[in-house]
Amino acid sequence: MTVGFATGTDTEEKVRTDEKTDLGQPWVVVVWNDPVNLMSYVSYVFQSYFGYSEAKARTLMLEVHEEGRSAVVSGTREKVEQDTVALHSYGLWATFEKAGSE
Amino acid sequence: MAKAFKSTRRGITGALEPGEARLLGALLDDVVTMLEPDTAPSEDPLAALVGMSGADAEATAPDDSAVRRLLPDAVRGDDDEALAFRRLTERSLREQKIGALRGSALLIESSPMTLNDEQARLLAQALNDVRLVLADRLSIESEEDAERLHDIADSKDVDDVESYLALVYNFVTWLQESLVQAMLKAARLDR
Repeated sequence: MTVGFATGTDTEEKVRTDEKTDLGQPWVVVVWNDPVNLMSYVSYVFQSYFGYSEAKARTLMLEVHEEGRSAVVSGTREKVEQDTVALHSYGLWATFEKAGSE
Repeated sequence: MAKAFKSTRRGITGALEPGEARLLGALLDDVVTMLEPDTAPSEDPLAALVGMSGADAEATAPDDSAVRRLLPDAVRGDDDEALAFRRLTERSLREQKIGALRGSALLIESSPMTLNDEQARLLAQALNDVRLVLADRLSIESEEDAERLHDIADSKDVDDVESYLALVYNFVTWLQESLVQAMLKAARLDR
């Protein structure tokens, strides 16, 4: 990911434990890092599409950026298929897979 | 030079210079053309009714790497599975993207623009697709590639097609970043 310009907005807020991604479900959506998508935009998509808090969206965005991939949501096969297509409509590079198949 | 987008009580506002609006309009149209299916719609009325058009049922991974980035495989490491999924979903994804690109081409005709949340989202999506295509043409494959082009920010830096594309890419990047910052600010105020 990349930054468009330096911004003064940053949150030090911690992600609440109950908000961590529940990976107990059998399928996950994985978002992959790419050099084009803006860090701010990826955070916006996680907040706006999944309804995640600013802090959780930022944590997942940084995981994608630093580790190259992040499982951002889990659910039934039908749900992860829908979420993957929705993320493609935003231009994110997303795939779905069985949980734990990495 | 365009004004940065701002979150205001009336919505998100921004303004492009006429030349910038023309350039961006042409880029949005180009991406629409790339996404329009090149096969004729199915003649099977039942297939058409359930959205399983001939073009979709025969869809293959796009040859153009930029289109492949706009319509990526949803499954990694299993081409058959990825293709089966593409045949079920690609057409509606193309249509969604074309809708956002065409809607955005209309939005940027107004100066200044005043956008509601939905319009801002469509414009951010469309600008992202334009950037993905430009990045493909500029062979931006790593963060180092992207940084190499950062400095091309003025027309005096332009001396060939690649540096012109880089200038355009940097402009659209700046515009999208400014829009997304305004959207994030608006979302924070809503909470």
